[in-house]
Amino acid sequence: MSIRSQGTTLFSAILILVATTVVVQLWLLTFSMEALLRREYGVLPAAALASSFLLLINGGLLRYIFRFDHEVQRNLREKP
Amino acid sequence: MGSELQQAEPNADCAVRGETPKCQQDFPIEWEGDHYVSRREMVKFLTLGSAVLAVANWVTVFAKGLARPDSRIVKHLGRVEDLERQDALLFRYPTEQDPCIAMRTREGKFVAYSQVCTHLSCAVVYDKSANQLVCPCHRGVFSVDQGAPVAGPPTRPLPRIKLEQRGGQIFAIGTEV
Repeated sequence: MSIRSQGTTLFSAILILVATTVVVQLWLLTFSMEALLRREYGVLPAAALASSFLLLINGGLLRYIFRFDHEVQRNLREKP
Repeated sequence: MGSELQQAEPNADCAVRGETPKCQQDFPIEWEGDHYVSRREMVKFLTLGSAVLAVANWVTVFAKGLARPDSRIVKHLGRVEDLERQDALLFRYPTEQDPCIAMRTREGKFVAYSQVCTHLSCAVVYDKSANQLVCPCHRGVFSVDQGAPVAGPPTRPLPRIKLEQRGGQIFAIGTEV
C-alpha cells in the first residue's frame, strides 16, 4: 500500500469519525430539546458536556489534519 | 498602483514555479473545480457544525431560565361547592384562546391543567371512574395528580394551572409551562 493510499484511507477514516460524532451531537441536541419541553432539566448539563466532549474530539482531529498538512509541506520544502 | 504590484507579485512567483496561485485554488474558474469539496474541507465544515451543535446544547441549559414566565393574571373560577358538585370545570385561562380543565383529586385537592393535549392538541377530558385525564383522539392518558403522561402517544405533561382558594372561592393565579 503506497503512502498516498494510506493517507487517503486515514483521511477517509477521520472524515467518517467526525461525521459520526456530528450525528451523535445532533441526536443529543434533539434529546435536550425534548427534555427541556418535558421540564427534565437535570439531563441538560450532562448532554451539553457530552456534546462539548465530542466537539473536543472533532477539534483534535482537525488539528491533527492541519499539523499533518503542515508537516508534509515542510518536508516538501526541505526535499524538493 | 504600488499595492497592485505587491498583490501581483505572489502570482508571478507561482507562475515562475509552475504552481496554481492561491486565489485560483480558492476560487477556481471551472465548475468542476468550484464544486469539488476535499476531505479536509469536509472535516472543517463538519467541525464547524459540531461547534454550532455544542453551543446549541449549552443554550438549552440556560434556556430553562429564559422559559416563559408564569402568567400572573388572576381569574375567578367559581365557588368550591360548585366544583365539588361537578366532575370537572371547564374554563379558559389566561386568555380566551386557552381552554383549561379543573377537577378535584381523590385526596380532595383541586388541580387544573391546560385542556390541550401535548400530542396533537385535541381536548382532554376527565374520566372520574379511572381518575385520569383522557385524550379521546389517540387514547393518550395523563395522571390527575401531576398531569404527567401515563399512556398513549403523549410524551410531555399538560401545562399546569396554579389554583388558590380564598374565602370559599377558587381562583386561577398562574400557569406552569
